[in-house]
Order: sequence, then structure tokens, then C-alpha cells
Amino acid sequence: MALVPKGGRLITSTTEAKAKGEALLESIGDGVIATDQKGRVVVINKAAENLLGFTSAEIIGKFLVRAISMQDAQGNQISDKLSPITLALTTGKIITTTSGPNYYLVRKDGTKFPVAVTVAPVLLNSKAAGVTVVFRDIAKEQELDRAKIDFVSTASHQLRTPVSIINWYVEMLLGGDVGSLASEQKKYLEEIYKNSKRMGDLIDALLIVSRLELGTVAIEPKAADLEAIAKSAWADFEVWVKHKKLSIKHRREGGPLTLAVDPHLMRIVFQNLFSNAIKYSPDGGVIECSIERRESDILIAVKDHGVGIPEKDQPKIFTKFFRADNARIKEPEGTGLGLYIMKSILGQAGGRVWFKSAEGKGTTFYVALSLSGMTRHEGPQGLEPPAGV
Amino acid sequence: MKIVIVEDESALVRVLVEKFNKVGFDVAYATNGEDAIRVVKTTDPDIILLDLILPRKDGFAVLEELKRDGALKTIPVIVLSNLGEDENLKRALRLGAVDYLVKTQHPINEVVEKVQNQLFSKSR
Repeated sequence: MALVPKGGRLITSTTEAKAKGEALLESIGDGVIATDQKGRVVVINKAAENLLGFTSAEIIGKFLVRAISMQDAQGNQISDKLSPITLALTTGKIITTTSGPNYYLVRKDGTKFPVAVTVAPVLLNSKAAGVTVVFRDIAKEQELDRAKIDFVSTASHQLRTPVSIINWYVEMLLGGDVGSLASEQKKYLEEIYKNSKRMGDLIDALLIVSRLELGTVAIEPKAADLEAIAKSAWADFEVWVKHKKLSIKHRREGGPLTLAVDPHLMRIVFQNLFSNAIKYSPDGGVIECSIERRESDILIAVKDHGVGIPEKDQPKIFTKFFRADNARIKEPEGTGLGLYIMKSILGQAGGRVWFKSAEGKGTTFYVALSLSGMTRHEGPQGLEPPAGV
Repeated sequence: MKIVIVEDESALVRVLVEKFNKVGFDVAYATNGEDAIRVVKTTDPDIILLDLILPRKDGFAVLEELKRDGALKTIPVIVLSNLGEDENLKRALRLGAVDYLVKTQHPINEVVEKVQNQLFSKSR
């Protein structure tokens, strides 16, 4: 804070600056602790005192890793060596625990709470002269996330119950188990069945979308043969493909097509690419599937010669529930969620998806995954295999 | 062949009983978790279809109890539920269920098929 008397020199009031700094620190809602380059506490704010139950007098001057205990979800103590404070001091890098497994801090009274922590080195001449630790209690956030997950799970279960009742009763009727049917009656029942299935598909898709948006989908990469996954996904559509008299041309290039991917999610990606190609292809058409190992990635391309995506609709194609007019005409029952789901999965897994299309000529969808494979993501849940997305 | 169906939705019980009767099974059923154990004990079935969301005692608790009981633990249990989450499937299989079917994903004929396959493979 500078005071400039008329015609005089600049006078900086260090007391005022210090007071301002302290007021700032005390007003921060998150816990803030700063250490020297040995890791001894030099500053601790009110929020940190309140969260931890210690007074500043009990903490100042002590080694932070000894004064405050940090544990993992299983209750194991995080060792000094592996503590984010030590890591930040030795590597000079910002260490954050806001993603990944949970960490807990132990209060003075022995109780513990889950935290999001960021430890940043204070750099002087590119060496760590200390660290600042900023942390907050995330117990409420976790509770809220858990409540959202439970709600989605319960809602989808509740919605599925009447759908399964309708399905099985109509199957019994159509199967002749409760008397014979006139052909008009059969037609009406078939329409009911089709739409009940459609509702079921929509529920499944919404469930997947919710989980993706909550970030609760686990991605567990392991070495997998992409060709095998593609073939197996294609086999799922056997009946449909036969009915439309479609054929597929495979192209493989560039070397071994094994990649560290979550096989389940990769299958969903292929299922999505194929189901779109099949849906919008004319009867008797050909679909091409190429998988190519390139310099830094693997490129998958699925090409159809179907209705294509009109230019005006192309920007919206990956948005939720969007279906182009020509798509609606060709295949009125899609959920409009398949591409959103695929893009979301690939986005979280570190892949990319895009397309080239011309109305009336056909569409090619491209998926690229880096050679290091999908990004691992911890999560309480995998994704259920969708019956028909 | 005897089957016990544990399911709280009466409409589903009705259609499952009708279907399994038609293919030649003797069917007994329970509509809550507590009755489930009692009905299994008195029926001594060859196979059990078990829902997970049940009043009084949920399907997982029933499954645990069945597998703890010396006389009952050898009866194969197929979970028939609309809970789709992976964690439920894994838990059910870990507790000893031989299969896990999501109701909306299987036509009723397929449910019968899976039951019959399970019994056929068991008898070999």
C-alpha cells in the first residue's frame, strides 16, 4: 500500500501490507498451511485450525508431516516419503489429490475427514523454499455424489419394472400362451412390444449418460486385441445384418492392433459405430471397417454408403437426443444418445471421435486412440452392456 | 422339477408361475425375503429364481443365508433383477449365484431356457 505525500517520495507501509496479508489469509474459507523448505509449519490460517481442531500454537514450527496425520481410505497412514508435502518439496511440482483415490486428514480428537488437497511449492530461484497447502473437507460433496448415484440407480430400476411386466405379458400373448390371436390383434401387440423395448433402450441409455456425467464410470485398460473386439461387436448384429443383406469389408494396417483399452467400453464404441452404419445403410449395402496403426495412434474408421448427415445437422450430431430429420425418417426409433455416449466415453478415456459425411452419399466415423491406450479412471462402477443403443 | 420364484411384483409372479407351469415345473413362490427362506425349506426346489429388491429382507441377505445353510447351499440360484449395476452383478456372483439376469434384457422364454440349461448342466 503506497502513500504518496505531495512532492515527496513513495512510502510503503509494511505494517499495513502485513495486516492486509493476514486479513486475506484469515478470510480464505479453505484451510491454508505454509511451510519452510524443511517442511516446518510457518503459517496456518483460522480455517485450517477449525478443520483440524489444532491451535496454531500447537502446529507452528513442527514438521507438517508429523504434526498432521494423513491416511488413505483403508486407514493406512501415508508415509512421510509419499506425503504430497514431501513430494512437492522434492520435485518442485504442484501435487493435487483432488482426483483419484481419497485421502483423509486426522483431527486432534482422532476423527478423520476426506479432503481435496493441493500442495504447491513456493519457488525461489526454481527451488522449493517451502510449500503452501490448501485443503477443504469434501465429506458433504461425497455424500451428494453418493445420493445422485443412488437416485439414478433407483430411478432406472423403478422405470424398468413396468417395462419388464409389459414385455413378458405381451410375449405370452404373442406366443399364443393365452389363446390364439387374430392377425390385426397380433399387429397391435407387436407395436406395443416394439415401443416397450424402445422405452427400455431409452432407460438404459439414460442410465449410461448419468453415470458418464457423474464421472462414476471406471475405465480399466488392459492389453486387448482391437480386431477381436470389433469382430465380436459385429457378431451382435448378425440377425439385423442378415435381414438387411449387408456385408462388411475389413481392412487392417500398420502392425499389431493390440492396445491398452477397457474391453467393455471399447466394445460399446464398436457397437455404436456399427449400429449407426447398419441403421442408415440401404438394404444390400456394404460397410467398411478399417483399423490402422499409425505413428502415434490407432485409427478406426467405419464407413457406410447410407443416408449421410445433412450439412446443417452436422454441428449438432454429438449432442444429447439430437437426430437429423433424414435419420428420423429412415429409422424412427433411435434414442438420439448413442453418439453422445460414445463421444463422452472417448473423451474420458483420452480418445477422439469425428466424422465426414455428405447427405445421400454416406458417412465415415473416425475414432483415434493414442498408442498409450485409454486413460485409467477409478470409479465405483463399470457400464452395463446396453441392449440396444 | 421344482422351482421357487422369489419376486415382490405380483404381476411378474403371475406370469412367471404361468410360464414355468406350462413347461412342466412345480412352482412355489415368495413375495418377500423372510418368506423366501421358509418356502425354500418346505419346497426343497431344484433351482431358485431370486429378485434383489424385496420387502423385509433383500435378495442379497436371502442369498447369503441360503449359502450359509448346509442343506440349502447346493441349490443353484439365478438372480432375476432390474438392478443393472456392475457392482450388484459382481456381488451376487461372489455370494454364490450361478447367473444374473436383468429382466428387461431377456424375453421370458430366455429366462426359462437359462433355468433349463442350469439344471441340465447340473445333472451331468
